[in-house]
Amino acid sequence: MLFKKKKKDIEDEHLKNLAKIVGQKSILHHKEDLLSYDCDGFTIHKSLPKAVIFPKNTEEVVAAVTYCSTHNIPFLARGAGTGLSGGAIPLHEEVVISLVKMKNLLSVDYENRQAVVQPGYVNLKLTNSISAKGYYYAPDPSSQYVCTIGGNVAENAGGAHCLKYGVTTNHILGLELVLPNGEIVEISENGVPDMPGYDLLGILTGSEGTLGIVTKITVRILKNPEGKKTVLAYFDRVEDGSHAVSDIISAGIVPAALEMMDHTAIEGVEAGAFPVGHPKGIEALLLIEVDGIIEGIDEQIDQILSVCRNHNVRDVKVARDEEERGRWWANRKTGFGAMGAISPDYLVQDGVIPRSTLPKVLNNIKEISNEYNLRIANIFHAGDGNLHPLILFDSRIEGETEKALKAGTACLKACADVGGSITGEHGVGIEKKEEMRFIFTDDELEAQIAIREVFNPNDLLNKGKLFPTPSRCMDIKKVIKETAAAQ
Amino acid sequence: MDKPLLDRKLLSIEESAVTFNNWSKNVRSPSTEVEVVEIIRSAYEKGQHVSLVSGGTKLGYGGVKSEYDLTLSLKDLKGIVEHTVGDMTVTVKPGTTMKELQDYLQNHNQMVALDPSWPEQATIGGIVASNDSGPKRLKYGSARDHVIGMRVVYPDGKVIRTGGKVVKNVAGYDMNKLLVGSMGTLGIITEITLKLRPVPKSENLIRLSVREEALDELKGYTKQIQDSMLEPVSLELVTPSLSQRLFHDEGYSLLIAFEDVEKSVDFQTNWVEQHKPAGVNYTTISNVKEFWNAFSEIHPNSLTDSKATQALLKVGTKNLDVFSILSECARIHHEGKVTIEAHGGAGHGLSTVFLEGDDAAIVNTINHLQHYAHTLKGYGVVKHLPFSLRQSVNVWGDEPSYFKIFEGIKHKHDPKNTLNEKRYIGGI
Repeated sequence: MLFKKKKKDIEDEHLKNLAKIVGQKSILHHKEDLLSYDCDGFTIHKSLPKAVIFPKNTEEVVAAVTYCSTHNIPFLARGAGTGLSGGAIPLHEEVVISLVKMKNLLSVDYENRQAVVQPGYVNLKLTNSISAKGYYYAPDPSSQYVCTIGGNVAENAGGAHCLKYGVTTNHILGLELVLPNGEIVEISENGVPDMPGYDLLGILTGSEGTLGIVTKITVRILKNPEGKKTVLAYFDRVEDGSHAVSDIISAGIVPAALEMMDHTAIEGVEAGAFPVGHPKGIEALLLIEVDGIIEGIDEQIDQILSVCRNHNVRDVKVARDEEERGRWWANRKTGFGAMGAISPDYLVQDGVIPRSTLPKVLNNIKEISNEYNLRIANIFHAGDGNLHPLILFDSRIEGETEKALKAGTACLKACADVGGSITGEHGVGIEKKEEMRFIFTDDELEAQIAIREVFNPNDLLNKGKLFPTPSRCMDIKKVIKETAAAQ
Repeated sequence: MDKPLLDRKLLSIEESAVTFNNWSKNVRSPSTEVEVVEIIRSAYEKGQHVSLVSGGTKLGYGGVKSEYDLTLSLKDLKGIVEHTVGDMTVTVKPGTTMKELQDYLQNHNQMVALDPSWPEQATIGGIVASNDSGPKRLKYGSARDHVIGMRVVYPDGKVIRTGGKVVKNVAGYDMNKLLVGSMGTLGIITEITLKLRPVPKSENLIRLSVREEALDELKGYTKQIQDSMLEPVSLELVTPSLSQRLFHDEGYSLLIAFEDVEKSVDFQTNWVEQHKPAGVNYTTISNVKEFWNAFSEIHPNSLTDSKATQALLKVGTKNLDVFSILSECARIHHEGKVTIEAHGGAGHGLSTVFLEGDDAAIVNTINHLQHYAHTLKGYGVVKHLPFSLRQSVNVWGDEPSYFKIFEGIKHKHDPKNTLNEKRYIGGI
């Protein structure tokens, strides 16, 4: 364009200095550029960062973090921004440290079954890079084609196949971390198990970016299972589907995945980009996958089929080939987004319940749906009791967003009340901070905050996430202490 | 030197404490959490130092403090609290032995997928606190992968729940992970909730063996197995000295276990036999369960009686470096200054080294193996050694550069060093 408006130079002294660290081309500071960073996959709350920087290596992260920490500037790390709980949303005009330029696969050691990646490396790319040799990376969140492994570590991401293979924390062997004061910490750089001392890998994974910024990750890679078979089963009653889930597990089968969708969810996925032609009027479908040694799969599939038949299945079938299996999984994995086809807006929740309480909790969710007069679709990892109620609403209608949020909270309360948890894989972020009180006492929250203080004593890194605010007793005590000291 | 053999007679904790310490004559054995809270709160207020014990098999594991004011034994805090069969989770009190827990679960065709040593004596509390694991870790992972929730009494008497009772949970920090392997230095675990697995429908155990000089051939085949579609539960390499004791065979052995449905186990067993190189011998072990039971007791613990000085070292390396560690062990064994029996998981990188000999030779060997592991970017931790010698070695190896984070974590939990003072890395 001929008359392209020249953007203003940086005026803020701090941003000038940060630009020197990462380079002029690796900083965004104009309001229009910052708009894309005002939220992540949790779009209900938005607020602008002070700037976004794109370091290219650990040294630049260290320099930027040291600068921010020295000058008391709040900051946070961001990957692909697919997080669903608002963990990467700047609440205090943070400098956002985007790690998307640190996106390399650094090494693969097939013999020792490990790979080293930078945090901005996309989850699915790892599997794609090693699949030629028959290996893969197990955690497979639905957003795996775009989400980064750094973000997966922050959130302890799960996925459909974690029933058998575990979540991110079970696959992290080593981490390089930049502490909020700029120090580099290298934990088990060689991927050696059980390094002496407290399990920092365990506490860092899932800490939602509040303890440090991960700059290098050693992950476990697995050999592809020899065979896989996938079953699709349709039920006329949700209870029948739930009981089939229980019976499959009690039969001593450990499926690789055991997924369920209810009536409304099926309507959504069939209106979405990857319909598979599920029959009309189905109340629940199960997607069940068994993998492992080919010789052993058929008898497990037969058992699954007979369990489904014992529970009044309307129709049950085994995927004929990889193509059909792929279509079923695309239909399931794009399930959240497909809700856009039947509702202007939707809110995803992420409760976890003991599997045996499934029918009861699904009933409670139905009651919540009626009470708030909002449709709720259920897509979930039935095998491990991880529910994703999708609350459908229209933000253009005044008050409906608030109503949807309240319905979401009610769903989490229903999960907490049966001894469950408020989040199985999406994290607390800013979305579920208050709901932490459903499952933890003040003392228990304080015990966790005490850990944050070890790593992030000044709370400059990703402030205001994870824990309920305001009025934590600890905060009050701190204020009293500070006030007393000032007097 | 005679090859080490274990005396099956077990000592009482009081007797073994004479050699291994981590003990006070003032012992309290609460049977409820409320009592635990009362005891520890009172000790905290008085500024006392308390050592924790349960089954008493790990008194030789870390600890350089000569005297404690009080020993808190969790052996009477035992039993199943809750087992929801359909949820495949169990909540259990810490003093329950591994065998009691597994026997109970076996009735429901379920198991905790952990195979630590001495299951009849070791309690789940101690196993979790020390993060003990066995050869089947390759497939099933370690305690950190199975513990989903706990109740923990902090030194000031607060009761804190970590995690929950569901198998998937990311609410807040994963505090379970801090407690697993923390050697009782952060809190007193009063309840543990674990994920369960179904008892496998079928299992098998193969022993491959080669002459000592042909270790590389076994290593090559191990790599081939790892790169195949097989799903072994263990790939445990055994030194010639230990093979001699277990199998009366003077070469290296590789123990390959499969657990799955019968057809899968049979297929994998045949595969291993058909693909093995000519120089590798193949045998199957007939009574698999019995073998693993015996295997879990091949090393000493603080309750086993011994005239000679014995030590256990846990060495962590990259998976395949287990071959280097074990061949170094075999080399030292041949030098004759100490007797060494060792085994290690070629699929998970942890080796266990059993040493017997005179004090100076044991200390030298520990130092040497720690250094050797270090050159492979691994580590060596002394799991079992008499108190007198623990002062002469660095039980936990060198402190990492980020040691101050450990100190910070300890301080936040236990500001007065009430619990297991000086038991853990760097004197924590």
